[in-house]
Amino acid sequence: MQDFRNRLFIVTVILGLAFLVLGSRLWYLQVLKGEEFAKFSLENHIRVERIPAPRGRILDRYGKELVINRTSFDIYVIPKDVKDVPYLSVSLSQILNLDTGQIEKDINSALKKKSFKPLLITKDINRDQLAYLEARRSSLPGVIIEINNLRQYPHGVLGASFLGYIGKVSVAELENNSKVNSNDLVGKTGVEKGWESSLRGDDGYKQKVTDALGREVESNLFQEDLQNKKSLPGNDVLLTIDIELQRAAEEVLGNEAGAIVAVDVNTGEVLALASNPSFDPADFIKGIDSKTWSNLVNDQSSPLLNRATQGLYAPGSVFKMVPSVAALNEGFINEEESVYCPGYYKSGNSTFRCWKRGGHGWVNLRSAIVKSCDVYFYKIAEKMGINNLSKYMTAFGYGSITDLGIEERAGISPSREWKQKRFNKPWYKGETIVSAIGQGYVSVTPLQVTMMTAAVANNGKLLKPALVKEIVSYDREEKFKHAPIVSGNIPVQKRMLDLVKDAMVGVVNDPGGTGSGARLKDMTVAGKTGTAQVVSLDNRSDKKKHMDHAWFTSYAPAEAPEIAVTVLIEHGGSGGAVAAPIAKKILEVYKKLKEQREADDNV
Amino acid sequence: MFDRRLIKNFGWFLFLMTLAFSAISLLNLYSASYETGLVSFKKQFVWVGIGIVTLAFVSFLNCKLLNRYAIYIYGFSLLLLLFVLVFGKEVAGSKSWIDIASIATIQPSELVKIAVIIILAKFYDDDYQATPYGFLDLIKPVILIAIPFILVMLQPDLGTAVTILLIAGSMVLFMGVKKWSVAFILIVVLGVSFYSWHYSLKPYQKDRIRTFINPSSDPLNAGYNSIQSQIAIGSGGVTGKGLRSGSQTQLRFIPAQQTDFAFSVLAEEWGFLGSIFVLLLYFTIILWMLDASSRAKDKFSMLVCFGVAAMFFWHVVVNVGMVIGLLPVAGVPLLIFSYGGSSTLTAMIGIGIVLGIRMRKFPMQGEAIDLG
Repeated sequence: MQDFRNRLFIVTVILGLAFLVLGSRLWYLQVLKGEEFAKFSLENHIRVERIPAPRGRILDRYGKELVINRTSFDIYVIPKDVKDVPYLSVSLSQILNLDTGQIEKDINSALKKKSFKPLLITKDINRDQLAYLEARRSSLPGVIIEINNLRQYPHGVLGASFLGYIGKVSVAELENNSKVNSNDLVGKTGVEKGWESSLRGDDGYKQKVTDALGREVESNLFQEDLQNKKSLPGNDVLLTIDIELQRAAEEVLGNEAGAIVAVDVNTGEVLALASNPSFDPADFIKGIDSKTWSNLVNDQSSPLLNRATQGLYAPGSVFKMVPSVAALNEGFINEEESVYCPGYYKSGNSTFRCWKRGGHGWVNLRSAIVKSCDVYFYKIAEKMGINNLSKYMTAFGYGSITDLGIEERAGISPSREWKQKRFNKPWYKGETIVSAIGQGYVSVTPLQVTMMTAAVANNGKLLKPALVKEIVSYDREEKFKHAPIVSGNIPVQKRMLDLVKDAMVGVVNDPGGTGSGARLKDMTVAGKTGTAQVVSLDNRSDKKKHMDHAWFTSYAPAEAPEIAVTVLIEHGGSGGAVAAPIAKKILEVYKKLKEQREADDNV
Repeated sequence: MFDRRLIKNFGWFLFLMTLAFSAISLLNLYSASYETGLVSFKKQFVWVGIGIVTLAFVSFLNCKLLNRYAIYIYGFSLLLLLFVLVFGKEVAGSKSWIDIASIATIQPSELVKIAVIIILAKFYDDDYQATPYGFLDLIKPVILIAIPFILVMLQPDLGTAVTILLIAGSMVLFMGVKKWSVAFILIVVLGVSFYSWHYSLKPYQKDRIRTFINPSSDPLNAGYNSIQSQIAIGSGGVTGKGLRSGSQTQLRFIPAQQTDFAFSVLAEEWGFLGSIFVLLLYFTIILWMLDASSRAKDKFSMLVCFGVAAMFFWHVVVNVGMVIGLLPVAGVPLLIFSYGGSSTLTAMIGIGIVLGIRMRKFPMQGEAIDLG
């Protein structure tokens, strides 16, 4: 037995050593690494839930809601918390009317990636589905219902071209904006994009105690560790748009491709900005599906193009105000001087035709504008040269964007320097001649034309157009209020400009004026027609795409201008016959709305 | 015939330690099961009660009876193992449980440990050859160990099977084995391990061993248990988070927190001080058992005491080693501390046997002294 007693001694030593190892490990975990593990355990059971802030609303100038939000309930699954994938897939697909196999496949592939990220199952379920899901939720661990805000458009497609659409944030956008999280929807075009930083709210968060299955636990045990932050809704953006005028503009455009721009002459506020064809912003609410998207992008009629600000066209005769002002102010012509129009103009070896084959006979500045004689402008253009002409083109804002705040294109205000740079070729005289009637290299947007007309009406003040009138925070604090900004003064004497304005009144109101289709009984309209050639006369055919663009730009009332309206109908034909009557309708609606509001104010 | 010395020599120290220990484990289980309605706490309370009564009963049995009926005890336990293989209730992939009239379930593989200790003690008691034992001498005890080991492996319950092997192996080694035989056995064990890994282990068992080697490799599955347990233990710090205040426990991040990972709960809520205190209690109990072993009046008693001590020792080492991330996750409970009727009963029976031997360390009336 003594032998065994010795062995027991050895056993006791082994026993002691083993316990020493266990104790040391406990010392390491609890004493040395205790604080580290304590932090770990805290993160372990606190789940941060983001409370997405609603985007600000977009309203018209009178506070009518154009873009608002509604609550949506989105379904996510945290794959690692799912206990029974097939069961969950079947349950979810029954409740939500989805494909069982797809859900199961998605969850399993997320599980393979060991992702802790919630997996989106579907967005915006209806109330019945929500009630049903809530009732069965306890048997479906891993399912998360997230409350989100979705855009809603009370006026449907109205104004879509400038309101723009929203879409899933891109990587580049994520990097530039700390307020944005992946999967967020951000403005992609239009006001939604241009005023993204105002519209975007400040997301809040809520920390929740969860158990190991990710289920929220009702416990006041750890409440003191929890932090919450309220979400702050984005600012409301009040546009300068009058949605009723916008509605009229979109209605009169009908099925025609084209644009209508209406601007307050005195403030530069854009009252209507229509572009057709357009798109339905509702398609983008939950992130657009690829099929609808590719249809939009590949559509030959370019519905995503805002023709009012991005569409580039030859302005044709609406451009004639520029050479008129230029030649008058630079002293190349006076109001008396007459030019004989035989229907064509010869310069060197080239012949330039007037739109009227038989010619206009003797014309002065006024009658040349009223009748839109091309020969008169060929002549004065040749006289003053491209340098003088391009100086005034630039002064009227052509060749650069108006800085409206949404997608815009600058167009081309041609000059010697421009051609040298662009084509590395010298400028030819003939190019000056065609530029004077808004053809050749000249390319403009309907918005630029409108701002030109407003500048004429305004005695040479070129205003910066504005789309946003006011920005107001959710707690009614004013963040921004629009005040007119003069972006440039046309270097022209008032006397000279009055001659042009008088001629524009004649365009609409004189017998034989090209713009008589815009004549109104109780308001004097001043305007200018334009019929822009799309292909050279020799290549024309009866095809629609070879037809001229119809232009009309105007302001009213002529005595005390308030509004400038420009109409462009792609391949519409004659500006006087097609575009002028449309402008007339817009002006009529404008007048009616104004009278209505005044009557309402008096009541 | 009742002898007053039995009362006088009763191991009050171990008995009171056991009572105190039971109280601590119940308190711990109270906290661990609070969020799930104290069901297991209440059941364990009953089991501890049954266990203490059994302990008292066993301690008054004469150790000679165990020696005499060792074969029957062993045979009966093997029958239970066979029964469980055929009629057992499958829980979590293992057929280890016998359902008794739907009131309770017992796990024969736990009770088998006592039977193995007794039969090995009986073998060595009967065998008078001089130590150390050579390989051929060990054929009989190896067979005695192998039968229950294989039956438990068939359930399959790797943790319990390994524990049986560890307890029996300790006893065999304690009795002495020739150096060459040790080498031979090591080779056999390595060979069996290699074979098992490739042909016999279930994928989940392999995963457990793999993730033990690198716990963070698969934090959501096998390694998750180990990581959550270590977070719990570590976050307890020096003084712990307090009763029912361990976030890992109360929010059920700790897996099997009432059974195999009960020690994690203790360590989280009572900190380093609490866990070291409980380890010291185990240490003291085992030392007391070894002391009883050294004072035993015959080889059989000595070996039984040693075996029970080894049983406690290996349960502590394997279980605590597992929860603190030193050993792979294997389903080995911490005796008395983990919720479970069979393991508690086994522990109580073990303590009862040691107490019984201890209080008969002095020769009884009409008994011959045999110091071997």
